[in-house]
Amino acid sequence: MPSAIDDKGRMTHANSPVFLLIRKALPIRLVLLTRLAPLARLAPLARLAPLARLVLLALGLQMLSFGAQADDYSEVGQLMRGGKLPEALARAEQTLATHPKDATLRFYKGVILRDMGKTSDAISVFSRLSEDFPELPEPYNNLAVLYASQGQFDRARSALEQAMRTNPSYSVAHENLGDIYAKLSTQAYNKALQIEPVASTPATSPAAKLALIRDLYLPANRVQKIQPPAAPSSAPVPAPAQVATTAKPTPASTVASTGTRAASGTVANTPRPAAPVPAPTVAIAPKPPTPTPPPQAAPSKPAPQPTPVSSSANASDAREAEAAVRNWATAWSARDMKAYLSAYGRDFVPPGGASRSSWEDERHKRIAGKANISVRLSDISVSVNGAKAVVKFRQDYKSGGLVASSRKLLELSKANGRWQISRESIGN
Amino acid sequence: MRTPLRCARLLAVLLLGLQLVPGVALTSNVNIHKASLSPAPLSTNPQRAAYNNTASNTRDSDGVAEAQLIEIYRLIGRGEPTEALQKAEKLVQLVPNFQLAQLVYGDLLASRVRTLKAMGDVPEDMAHTASTTLQELREESQRRIKALRERPPAGTIPSQFLELSQKSKHAIAVDASRSRLYLFENTPMGLNLVSDYYISVGKAGTSKTSEGDQRTPLGVYYITSNLDRKSLKDFYGSGAMPLSYPNILDAKRGKTGGGIWLHGTPSAQFSRPPLATDGCVVMANPDLEHIIKTVEVRSTPVVIAPQLDWIAPAKARAQVAPFESSLHAWRNAKTQGDLNQILSFYTPDFSSNGKTLSQWTDTLKSELSKVQGRTIQLKDVSYLRWTDSSDTMVVTFGEVPDGTRTGWTKRQYWTRTGNQWKIFFEGPL
Repeated sequence: MPSAIDDKGRMTHANSPVFLLIRKALPIRLVLLTRLAPLARLAPLARLAPLARLVLLALGLQMLSFGAQADDYSEVGQLMRGGKLPEALARAEQTLATHPKDATLRFYKGVILRDMGKTSDAISVFSRLSEDFPELPEPYNNLAVLYASQGQFDRARSALEQAMRTNPSYSVAHENLGDIYAKLSTQAYNKALQIEPVASTPATSPAAKLALIRDLYLPANRVQKIQPPAAPSSAPVPAPAQVATTAKPTPASTVASTGTRAASGTVANTPRPAAPVPAPTVAIAPKPPTPTPPPQAAPSKPAPQPTPVSSSANASDAREAEAAVRNWATAWSARDMKAYLSAYGRDFVPPGGASRSSWEDERHKRIAGKANISVRLSDISVSVNGAKAVVKFRQDYKSGGLVASSRKLLELSKANGRWQISRESIGN
Repeated sequence: MRTPLRCARLLAVLLLGLQLVPGVALTSNVNIHKASLSPAPLSTNPQRAAYNNTASNTRDSDGVAEAQLIEIYRLIGRGEPTEALQKAEKLVQLVPNFQLAQLVYGDLLASRVRTLKAMGDVPEDMAHTASTTLQELREESQRRIKALRERPPAGTIPSQFLELSQKSKHAIAVDASRSRLYLFENTPMGLNLVSDYYISVGKAGTSKTSEGDQRTPLGVYYITSNLDRKSLKDFYGSGAMPLSYPNILDAKRGKTGGGIWLHGTPSAQFSRPPLATDGCVVMANPDLEHIIKTVEVRSTPVVIAPQLDWIAPAKARAQVAPFESSLHAWRNAKTQGDLNQILSFYTPDFSSNGKTLSQWTDTLKSELSKVQGRTIQLKDVSYLRWTDSSDTMVVTFGEVPDGTRTGWTKRQYWTRTGNQWKIFFEGPL
């Protein structure tokens, strides 16, 4: 097993050497990320599911790989991306024959089957996956999506509630569950008023468009649960995640920040805020690996101010980037669609490979249709690298009865003196 | 998923608060609710409580769906939307055609993702399509709650049931304003309220006067028969018990129409809106089945009132006394055999199944010849009083001359003018 767990375990009660170790461990993970990253960009697949919200692949998959290699994932991914679904399925099954427990491949298999229209086969794949890895919310989420596509909203609901139980702050499941509640309530209202529902297949009716998670996202703290405890760690520690988002030092890491990956969630790998975890604020600036205070040193102080950045030249950029993000949140809260959408740059890559216009449509439905929205940001950290910035924060979203608190990561690019969002990731 | 408390509170206001009497705080209403609904949701029904506590095979499911609905309201009122949602889900699985339960279930689901603005906060387009149905369901909800919150005072009886002989084992009273039917058991100790049920009446309300007016009659009736379920269309649900509309008073007033039944609901609907029928009194099938199993035809009186007036049995007995002296005076006159004196108890417009007073005089003479001066005993006397623009006493009794083993079972309709009671109908049953 990779050393990440051990590293993490040790990090909780050791100082600088451990952090160095993590940096050293970086390339290994980043290789994985490099290979797997393209999987996230399954645009052809995403088009099959027009409004799919995607959460992309993250680190740590090898923890569940049971011997399967990154190459296997990469090949399957390329086949999927090329729309060669039968080939992708055959390739996945080839490896699964020797590594039958591999969670990632099974997950992909489920997605492939779903995209091939073999819904019930996909259901059984995700169903067994959720039995084998009950601590993973993603298989439940996808089960829910599949059930919903069959009009089985009650089952979809219980699957999502299961996903929420395993990970209470899981944004995608949150939103999906919201959709399911809305759909179920419409069904109940129809029965109450004895209205025959408008004939439409569940899969195409707007309320049934749920986010299928295409890639297995596996935060480190959940990996820890799967593994036998390596060390008497006291709290989950944001270890490798932010490295992936920033990670100047190694060539592999550039993948993470150059936008070759399509959609959101790519990097998410910090522990979930189930227990409040401080926003990771370390290792952003591109400087040589040096001993850094462990994250516990920085924790849990609310960060009303932008996190200090390493270069003073960056300071004003950091302030501007943060202001841009705050304006974005304000526009969202005000349901000011014009201002909200203009916060996104032309280079913005909508999640899931959706087209810009269909993404805008979806956002419009989700935002303008609400009676009220409140978006509050906290624990903001900003890192600037030239004309790019990464802003991370906790987002407290409220609308009607729905309350969702999640970590979010926005990548911004500066063009014509203006910071605009180029990528948006949730769940981080 | 976390639902903030304020949401639950709001929902509570919406579901329960709509029925608030101005100036009464929500909390007190919730408490009233709790008080009246616990420990058993319908505490006035010891019979059902017993059913619920035993796994009896013969257990009736009357009132169960409503009790579960009210339990859901209670949970909402207590700020426990999650439990309420679970119970609502179970209820709609158990009784999918219970539209009001579906509406509440829909609200509880919707409250997870948005703030409810009203009870039955359906999307705009649905509210537009089905505005009448929505309004009816809200009304049904309010009436169910009202009937359960405003319970009859313990030990009281509807003012119409002045006295019921043991020939009637049960009695039924319908309060149209509450959309409620109350079932009583008539024991030697008096009337006991056993259970009560939500009911629907005519589309146009009550006070039926003519055929096709879609109104439910008001008055004192009897169940005349029990129709075979197999002979009935699905529309009538699990059975039908016709009522004796038009009764003597109705006929005298020239009211027309007929076929006023107590019946069930079609399979598509667990219950119907408060004002829904062509004049019949309609109740949920499980409730009706319990009624059919319980009550007797012909001897079970059914009072349908715009609003029931609940009085203590002692007060009822006190009301009997002045009338009873008139009844005894009539009996004494008959015992004495003085025809003119007897005739003074009858109104000029008296009729008995088509006989005028002069034709009735012949009947009286024939009866007197059979009595032959023996003292007439009145047995098993029931007094039902109906008061609207006039004051009517419906008396049922056995008329038995001393020394004979049998007599007539008779029913008389008396009307009051000032302090004078006079008979405007008399006939054997």
